[in-house]
Amino acid sequence: MNHMDIQQDSVFIDGFEERLQTEGPFSSWDLFQMNYQAALTTMTASFEGLKALDYLPQMDFMEHQLTSATQVIEEMNGRAILADEVGLGKTIEAGLILKEYMIRGLVKKALIIVPASLVNQWAQELNEKFYIPAVTFRKSYPWDQYDVIITSIDTAKRSPHREQILEQDYDFLLVDEAHKLKNHKTKNFAFVQSLKKKYCLLLTATPVQNRLVEIFNLVSILKPGHLGDYDSFLKTYGKNRKNLKQDAYLKQLVQKVMIRNTRQNTKFDAIKRHIETIWVDFSNEERQVYSQLENATDVFSAFSKITFLRELCSSREACYLSLNKMIDQSNENSIKPITEEIEQLRHHVKAEKVVELIKQAGDEKVIIFTEYRATQVYLQWYLKESGIMSVPYRGGFNKGKKDWMKQLFENHAQVLIATEAGGEGINLQFCNHLINYDLPWNPMRLEQRIGRIHRYGQQHDVHIYNIAIRGTIEEHIMTLLYEKINLFEQIIGHLDDILDELNINDMESEIQSIFSESASTGEAKIKLDNLSSVINLTHQQADQEEESYGN
Amino acid sequence: MAINDLHNFIQDYFTSHHCDVLYNHDGMITVQLTEDMDRALMNRPFYWHYIKKMGHPGDPKQLTLITNPEKRDGNHEWIHYGSPRLHQIINHLHEHEKYTKLFERLDTNKKQALYPWLVTNIKISYQGKQKKDEMVSIGLHLVNGVMKLKMMEELQTKTMQNTISDYCYTISPMIKLHSGFKRIEKVLESYVHDQDHDWAEESQKTMDEEIDLLRHFYKEETEEQAMKKEINEIKKRYSPYIKFEVVNGGIFYLADNTI
Repeated sequence: MNHMDIQQDSVFIDGFEERLQTEGPFSSWDLFQMNYQAALTTMTASFEGLKALDYLPQMDFMEHQLTSATQVIEEMNGRAILADEVGLGKTIEAGLILKEYMIRGLVKKALIIVPASLVNQWAQELNEKFYIPAVTFRKSYPWDQYDVIITSIDTAKRSPHREQILEQDYDFLLVDEAHKLKNHKTKNFAFVQSLKKKYCLLLTATPVQNRLVEIFNLVSILKPGHLGDYDSFLKTYGKNRKNLKQDAYLKQLVQKVMIRNTRQNTKFDAIKRHIETIWVDFSNEERQVYSQLENATDVFSAFSKITFLRELCSSREACYLSLNKMIDQSNENSIKPITEEIEQLRHHVKAEKVVELIKQAGDEKVIIFTEYRATQVYLQWYLKESGIMSVPYRGGFNKGKKDWMKQLFENHAQVLIATEAGGEGINLQFCNHLINYDLPWNPMRLEQRIGRIHRYGQQHDVHIYNIAIRGTIEEHIMTLLYEKINLFEQIIGHLDDILDELNINDMESEIQSIFSESASTGEAKIKLDNLSSVINLTHQQADQEEESYGN
Repeated sequence: MAINDLHNFIQDYFTSHHCDVLYNHDGMITVQLTEDMDRALMNRPFYWHYIKKMGHPGDPKQLTLITNPEKRDGNHEWIHYGSPRLHQIINHLHEHEKYTKLFERLDTNKKQALYPWLVTNIKISYQGKQKKDEMVSIGLHLVNGVMKLKMMEELQTKTMQNTISDYCYTISPMIKLHSGFKRIEKVLESYVHDQDHDWAEESQKTMDEEIDLLRHFYKEETEEQAMKKEINEIKKRYSPYIKFEVVNGGIFYLADNTI
């Protein structure tokens, strides 16, 4: 190298001279040495390696997270798409990378753009896990006041924030759920592209959802020209997203800017899921009410009848309450007899099973999911009668109450009874028994439930118990849908893609219409069976393509 | 010479700042802060502003830190290499312990000359695609121009103090401070020039390649602004350079025969 740019220290010697003129203050020998020691401790003596690990003694990183962080920094020079499957800890990888850059003095100002619902969670994780003083954007702060700011894109792109943000020179930009930038004609895309940034991470579990050009657009934010220009890209590779896996050259190019860990290629696989479906039978009385409901064709619409049947499979209370709500003068005579029958029922057969299961688990923590609030209340009461302490959890709780319930569960109660996993759900890695008291009809929600405990940080195998009642609508869903598509055993990372591809927006209403529009149970079973077959087929096709296309 | 015993380091830091150690056992230390330390570490400027306005002396806090991870109790701060508290302390040192003037302590009853040395601890950062640092501690004899490396290690064995010992007197420097510092810089410059710079060449190469790629992407003239912005970002990310930063330094008066 002929010419090397050297930046001298221009302030020290003048400062020292001034200090001599004012006769001090001068450091004591001890403190002078300590400053030197501290500087030796905080400097990074090597180009390679993750210095951040010395700074995060409380963190227990997984192998793939360390490799990913190293790769992003050392090979991709800090501009990358992190495309790990859901639940493998993209946030952790991103935090580690940011931390490393901050320690090395390469990043001071960082902007972190995440979905509005995740802003607080990001702030908490960066602060608590990584000691990165990240703040969430508040109206009263100017954008240049804080070094690490977390915000949603909707806030950021709005005037007057937009103008202020565009003036900043960011050392580090992170966009979570980056697949939302897949279309280069959107305002979001243009905004992110025009931000001034040095390092840049795009996080997404689904880098290519539909069209191949989506990856082109994401890469264009990181490294314009890496995949050529728009027109020639379209001409060479077309629109088929399969090309990402089939075209060797394209695959190689993409691997230079994208990391994708799957559950299969990580240690994560070491944690096993033990799935047990537990079949129970209605008592004679319960069965009687069930068939009474089933045969009451003229009283309810087919649609609401299905709801009642599902509810009865969950608890007397759930069914009773909704039936009661329906009662008016016109149908009183047909509904009253049923509700009266329900009043006579003794304990629900599933609740008894649950107590048995909890006792089997010894003193280990158990989480129970149910679809119905009435069931939740009933179960809590019933468990208490059986000497088991439990706490409730609902999406509707405010943040403070959620945290409190989680804490009670972790430290005091053996059981948590939850009605929903929640989008911004709680992480319960300390628990490894999960009872699906009743099944949601949307497999994504089921996946979310399981994801609460089967996730990064779980140390033990997880046990999932599904309780279903023979000879009821539950049996159909269990055997014709869930067991058939193998939902419990594997995490179908791209289930949402599959449903997307099949144009199924809402699985729940899909199933509901199968039941309500079928003339007989037989017909419903066939339709349900067909649905599962289609899902299965699409899944297998996707699997065959799924040679890893990330790095 | 890096910090190898965090507990001792913390303890020394507080005692050097005249804080009483109230409890110190098995990886846990409690100190009574002085007003200065409270102001420096406890982040409560409004309290001090208010209390002084009211004419009160103020009530500095006590601080308990746990250095042994086994002893964490959830009530007190665990201090470790990554904890914000340690970095607050390190920043405090960095800001305040930059300059010194020290005299070697000698037990003597004869007249003894002390010679002036300019001592500087300089962090050299090499930045290309990645970054690394190197510390150099240099001493320059301001009378005869002799230069010593690893100066801090040499000095470790000595007792230094801010006042001059009895019977000792200082020799005036022949070399002016500024030109002394220039000499040190020159030595460092030739030191880095003599190294091979593979890292810098690699960075340069990657930079050129990435800038080249841009030309495949931006083809319209209207896109010139956008392309300029990208070029700037690439240059910021890859342009290789070396930076000298003086961590701290000062004048050390040493008995000549001892070095």
